[in-house]
Amino acid sequence: MSVAIAERPQVASPVTSLRPVISFHGVNKVYPNGTTALREVDLAIHEGDFCFLVGASGAGKSTLVRLLIREEAATTGRIFVDGQEVSRMSRRRLPKLRRKFGIVFQDYKLLTNRTVAQNVAFALQVTKPGQRHLREKIEETLWIVGLEDKLEKYPDELSGGEQQRVAIARALIHRPRIFLADEPTGNLDPDTSWGIVQLLLQINHRGTTVLMATHNREVVDLVRRRVIAIEDGRVVRDEAQGRYLRQGEATL
Amino acid sequence: MRRVIASLWFATVSAGQNFKRNLGVSLAGVFTMGLILFLVGGALLVTHSVNTVLEHQQANASKIKIYLSDNASLSAITDFSTRLQHDSRVLAVSFEDKDQAEKEASQDPQISQALQTLGSNPLPASLNLTVRRLTDLGALDSMARNSPIVDKSTATDYNPDVINKLHTLIDIIEIVGAVIAAILFVVSVVIIMNTIRTAVYARRTEIEIMKLVGATDWFVRWPFILEGILGGVLAAVFSGAIVAGGYNLFVHYTHSSIFGVPFDGPYTFALLVILAVGGVAVGAFGSFLGVRRFLNV
Repeated sequence: MSVAIAERPQVASPVTSLRPVISFHGVNKVYPNGTTALREVDLAIHEGDFCFLVGASGAGKSTLVRLLIREEAATTGRIFVDGQEVSRMSRRRLPKLRRKFGIVFQDYKLLTNRTVAQNVAFALQVTKPGQRHLREKIEETLWIVGLEDKLEKYPDELSGGEQQRVAIARALIHRPRIFLADEPTGNLDPDTSWGIVQLLLQINHRGTTVLMATHNREVVDLVRRRVIAIEDGRVVRDEAQGRYLRQGEATL
Repeated sequence: MRRVIASLWFATVSAGQNFKRNLGVSLAGVFTMGLILFLVGGALLVTHSVNTVLEHQQANASKIKIYLSDNASLSAITDFSTRLQHDSRVLAVSFEDKDQAEKEASQDPQISQALQTLGSNPLPASLNLTVRRLTDLGALDSMARNSPIVDKSTATDYNPDVINKLHTLIDIIEIVGAVIAAILFVVSVVIIMNTIRTAVYARRTEIEIMKLVGATDWFVRWPFILEGILGGVLAAVFSGAIVAGGYNLFVHYTHSSIFGVPFDGPYTFALLVILAVGGVAVGAFGSFLGVRRFLNV
């Protein structure tokens, strides 16, 4: 399938890679109830990277995603996205920050009382009202995720995999720089999961940075991309072509 | 410009769509708001009507009759009348002679019969005063009693008891009205905030998505505020119609009774404006407060 997502340069050149699109510097996050979710996290993700964020439930993957879009603020340390410091950003500037991201979650977060086309349109209507050629943009994006024939269906009439594709289309329609996927295959069977990951790889192939938090071992081991492993709030491993578990680590 | 129009259009359309999609919750909100506006309007109208009746009574009470002795000379009466006319506390003075007194008293059939049986006219002539303020009645009464031309057996028809009671009654009604209005105000704010919060809660996913894709706070707020205004207007129309209709019926049925309340057109209009403005303000403010909690994503 030829994909027409972005006119952006394909995989980042070594020169642009010097400045990471996402970076964490000594980031700690302690929730008000006293739980420490992240400890001294240092990370750099470059333009065009495809990263898996792996770790057990509660290891801190979701907190990391929430800090990136400033749903939560870091307790100490600094986070930069596209050259801007997120951790000290004023509330007024958050909408601009969030428009750099496309985000999907395990539970899709679709509006059940709207059609597929309306769900996808929603993201553009609320960020760029008065957008021209809205219909064409919706059709094009749904074609990318392979749902061009489901425009007028409601989410309840779709399978789990299809619903996740609608969520991906919604996250993609405004052409984000960074694509965040928090457990996108958590509710899906292995075949469907593989289809979703293929789609994320395609999106990445067109130049969009992708960060996918997951504990889907098969997927991580098949794709062999960068793996950042978190355990108990710390980055314990960061490998360019990693596996879900460390070499020789015991399987469950 | 295009974006502003598109934003307004989006807010208006989604306000309408949300209202329709969550018709149950929306109508519950409108009904609650309408009920409270109805109570507020009703309380205002009842207080106003009671005050109108009492003011009418007060107007009657501010009259005093000074009964004149049958021996008083016309010049003495004229002198006294002139003195009263120049008194700043007095609004009007009129002279009523014995015949007029008889004629007026004869309107009551029992008195008429008694007068006929009596054969002569025992009723005294009188000076009828209208005073500016009820509180001056006492002083004027004692002044009249000291005058030689006044009938010593029954000097005036002044009855301090009735007037004091009327005063107390007006005070009580004003206090009770204020207390009821204050209670209704507090109750309405609490109920409306919770109703709107329920309506907003039903749409928290929508708000969450809007925030996640990067909508501004005001962009998220506007549809809800417009929806609150729409609800407020509907509630005001619904309660205004009932209040105004009920008032009309009440006036109609009490028309012939002693407590007859006259229909007050300007007041009714002002009341409807108050209800409409109140509905819009409470709807918009309630929505603003209701959304605020869900905006902190």
